[in-house]
Amino acid sequence: MTPCAIEVADLRVVLGGRAVLTLDRCSLPAGDLAVILGPNGAGKSTLLKVILGLVRPASGTVRVLGEEVTRLTGKGLCRLHRRIGYVPQGLGGGGPVPLTVREVVAIGRTGRAGLLRRLDGRDWQLVDLWIERLGLSHVALCQYGETSGGEQRKTLIAKAMVQEPEMLLLDEPTANLDLAWREHLVAALDHLHATTRLTTVLVCHELEVVPPSCRRVVLLAGGTVVAAGCPEDVLVGERLAAIYGAGLEVMRQGERFALVPGTARRTG
Amino acid sequence: MDWIYWSPVLVAGTVAGASTGMLGVFIVGMRIPFLGVCVAHAALAGAVFGSLAGLEGQALLVPALLAAAATALALGLMDTERLRGDSNAILSLLFSLSMGLAFLGLGLFSVLGRSDNDVRSLLWGSLTFCRWRDVAVMLAGAAGLGAFVLAFGKEMRAILFSRAHASAAGIPVMGLWVTFLVLTSVVLTVNFQTVGGLMIYSLLANPAAAAFQVCRGYARTLGVAAGLGAASGLGGFLAAALTDLPVGAMIVLVSAGLVGAAALLGRRRRARAVS
Repeated sequence: MTPCAIEVADLRVVLGGRAVLTLDRCSLPAGDLAVILGPNGAGKSTLLKVILGLVRPASGTVRVLGEEVTRLTGKGLCRLHRRIGYVPQGLGGGGPVPLTVREVVAIGRTGRAGLLRRLDGRDWQLVDLWIERLGLSHVALCQYGETSGGEQRKTLIAKAMVQEPEMLLLDEPTANLDLAWREHLVAALDHLHATTRLTTVLVCHELEVVPPSCRRVVLLAGGTVVAAGCPEDVLVGERLAAIYGAGLEVMRQGERFALVPGTARRTG
Repeated sequence: MDWIYWSPVLVAGTVAGASTGMLGVFIVGMRIPFLGVCVAHAALAGAVFGSLAGLEGQALLVPALLAAAATALALGLMDTERLRGDSNAILSLLFSLSMGLAFLGLGLFSVLGRSDNDVRSLLWGSLTFCRWRDVAVMLAGAAGLGAFVLAFGKEMRAILFSRAHASAAGIPVMGLWVTFLVLTSVVLTVNFQTVGGLMIYSLLANPAAAAFQVCRGYARTLGVAAGLGAASGLGGFLAAALTDLPVGAMIVLVSAGLVGAAALLGRRRRARAVS
């Protein structure tokens, strides 16, 4: 049996005196690609932060890569973070600092390398390899802040991948991207999972972002799991209309899904 | 000009410019330029209460350093999420608190009928009366900063980009961030007594702002900011000697002029790159 990369049980997260996430049981086998889907405020990003140990639950157990996250502090949390490639929602680099794309990607090697050790030839080789794999070679020496939103997202994915992570967590990686860049990114993530078989958790609120190779979707709404399973079972018209609003229908083409207004080809 | 008399002043201006210029890359890059003024007032508050307790001269540096380091420590350890504010909101709180304490102490001098000249010189500085002993203290602060940036350069690059991203990459951000803030408070405080709290602010902001206009890459930006800071300190002093105008004002004007020149150069480069 494939070992579990993530196991969550009896989870309850309270923020500002309000329960924002309640989960009975949820697990993800190593090597799977899972998508956590749901409308704004469903608790998707909170769940990712709980998995990373950035948000402490009021109760429950959270095992990630064999570690009980709720018991980790300081150094233990740092060690776990080195094993997880995390791409947060924010693009970072908000200040005026002229770091190059290559330097931003190298941040991923920094934690791995450890304190008081310079990045060596192998570190930089990995940095250049992922820059090339994600099609960023033409902007490698450009200032990060001067590249496009899509290039910045890919830079952050490259940063996460040079960590040589055992798991990849992406929080709304297509936010603020136009359709073309969104498609580039979905294809890149799909290819990445197909070639590396890296345990991947992708958080999003659009069905269009679910990569074709995804076989596990967790649908969250109001801080609880509404449905979980393979995309064709979970992404059902009536269920999504109840969450996202009446008059919306699910359109399926091959392994891709979309939520559209009006009449369209129904799933199933 | 009496070079033997003025040489410690020249070296002090250059060292203060270089060290604060390098610090500025982090302070301006992380959008907390207010830190300079906040630490200056905390140091002043420390010196005021040190003086009220009977300390004088160089000994005032000790309470000034302690107060500045305590302020930096408070900033580093405060949880911005729990306090529902960002670093600048916390800086505002610390700044108003340290300024209130400093002025309360200054008020006590007149109540007690004592002179506050010793502590007021901390705020304005006295570059022209700087001696080799002061330069040695400033050099020690600059060397400490240089050693820290060399040892933890790659981690500071990540923190400069984003503390959240650095933390996500498994970098022990909290320890490094707090150490950096305390080191910053020490470097700024040892420079206050010669350069003055107000001029420090321009040396923190201007060389870094100029370097950002013309540089690409972390190491180069740090080097250029330190170089422009040194040029501001040295150039300002030489300009003052030539024109017989106040040294502090000339250093501020030279550093501001460098920002203008860098902005023009950066604009020309970008226009050339587009064409």
